[in-house]
Amino acid sequence: MAARTRLPLLFSKNLPPFKNQKLAHTEAAVKEPTYPPIVPSLTAKSKSARGRQVEDHVKKICASPVDEKLSLITRIQRKKFVVYPQTFARNADRWYQHFTKTAYIPGLPERFALDPEKRTGVEKEESSLPAGAQTTVPGVEIDAFADIRSLVTRMILQEHWHMKKRKPFLYREQEQMVGPFLRNLVTGLTYSLAKYNPLLPLSSLDIDPQVNFYWRRGQRIIPKGHRRGRQEPTRFQIDDQPHSQIRITQQLPQFTSLEASYAAEVPEVAFAPNLMPLFRRQYDNNIFTGAKLPDPACYGHTQFHLVPDRYHRDRMARQQQSDQVEVFLRANGLASLFAWTGAQAMYQGFWNHEDVTRPFVSQAVITDGQFFSFFCYQLNTVALSVETDANNPRKNLLWGTESLRLYESVQDGAVVGLNDDVVKLLVQFLVNQP
Amino acid sequence: MPVTRLLYPLFQLGNPQLRIFRPNWFLTLVRPGKEQPPDTVQFRIPMEMTKCDVKNYLEKIYNVPVGAVRTRIQFGSNKKRNHLNQKVKQPDYKVAYVQLAQGQTFTFPDIFPEKERMPTEGSMEEMQEKFMEDEKQRQKLDPRRGGVTEWFGL
Repeated sequence: MAARTRLPLLFSKNLPPFKNQKLAHTEAAVKEPTYPPIVPSLTAKSKSARGRQVEDHVKKICASPVDEKLSLITRIQRKKFVVYPQTFARNADRWYQHFTKTAYIPGLPERFALDPEKRTGVEKEESSLPAGAQTTVPGVEIDAFADIRSLVTRMILQEHWHMKKRKPFLYREQEQMVGPFLRNLVTGLTYSLAKYNPLLPLSSLDIDPQVNFYWRRGQRIIPKGHRRGRQEPTRFQIDDQPHSQIRITQQLPQFTSLEASYAAEVPEVAFAPNLMPLFRRQYDNNIFTGAKLPDPACYGHTQFHLVPDRYHRDRMARQQQSDQVEVFLRANGLASLFAWTGAQAMYQGFWNHEDVTRPFVSQAVITDGQFFSFFCYQLNTVALSVETDANNPRKNLLWGTESLRLYESVQDGAVVGLNDDVVKLLVQFLVNQP
Repeated sequence: MPVTRLLYPLFQLGNPQLRIFRPNWFLTLVRPGKEQPPDTVQFRIPMEMTKCDVKNYLEKIYNVPVGAVRTRIQFGSNKKRNHLNQKVKQPDYKVAYVQLAQGQTFTFPDIFPEKERMPTEGSMEEMQEKFMEDEKQRQKLDPRRGGVTEWFGL
């Protein structure tokens, strides 16, 4: 039967002669055979299988919403270096710059430049205040600036002159004397400047918040154990408790463009972090800006830090370590601001393999009561681990000042030598808006 | 100070300032086993010294500006056994890592540098070296044949 249906071989050329011409105008639909893509196995005990598992994990994290992203990134606990922003280690700022890929630029960005041209020739109405009050902040009138000066003097006098405090216990002096002053200063200034900065009335002022950040940078070869000889990424965690911070609903504008950071120099330290000295622990990996994820005020504005007694410049001078005071302040500003901006970026969904598309900007003021240091941080990249950092030209930037004296001393119920530049900088910092 | 049976001078509030003249402590500068940052110097110190003692010692006697000192005690192993199967204890020692102040750095020098040994003329060593070189030359295969052995050929 099958033989009958088959056409004879000799016939097929001529018979039927014109049958194929009907189909001459249409092309035969040639179907390409589709095979599944050739990818490495998922469950084999091989390096390519491990690579595929890692790729799938990365894709899974990229595809999930932000809170799941955070929990997937911080899920597995391993030994990590705990980075303390306020550290006794020597030359800590160079090490921290290497860990966070930050370049330090002395001085503040152009927005905060203390220009003598800003001094207006307009005579002041209140001539009772000491000279030097001719400086103005753009957007803030002279009267308001004079009000702020008097507010600051009132705060200083309240804590150091009017209030009678007992002799502080060992290492409690800053907490007892300067803590309340800083808190009053921050709340008072925020309230006074609320009419000049439309973001401040909608902002959130936290007192003693928690800021945490977890990241990976660099790798090392495991020296001993069942995983000996394999590469292990070095993990870091910052757990910071600033004195107070202001969080706002909109993001601050960038200080410089992303491309401008390509030329910055980051110091490279070839030694392992534990030589700093830095210690490893294993506990929960936290990423926290100061408020939970659904909070509308998710962007950072300014942080205020207090220098504890242990790192006070008088104590450092007694131990002949006066050069480490500035180092300590820089390291504190760097670590705290990196943790805060990094956590803000994570809250927006950017992480190691999805780098930030816009720079995240925050400010910080570190003080020990008399000396104020101002820092501005711009986070340009979160991709710090080995795979993502290989071709990443972006660097984070930290601008910072030396410590400036706010007032000389308090004598007979009056503040002697109030520095207007410092007050002006404080006002400029708080008035900073997009 | 600590000879035998001498209690370490403990300090209590109100005691006079402790002054040690001619201390009986000796520090040993050692090459670090693991790579250390350039401002860190590693010493082996007697067990009884503390961090403050090390700092004062280096500053007062040697005028070395010391930033920070960290110490640890290295346990000497008690595992090895001698020919009588008794455990032999290696002594414990204290190690101090001293970080120098004022931006100074220190690298441990190379104490045993490699030097070119040229044997003196007419001596036994020179004759022996020449003989060894000649032997090696004879062992080498013919360079005209590209180092191929003699027996390889048609």
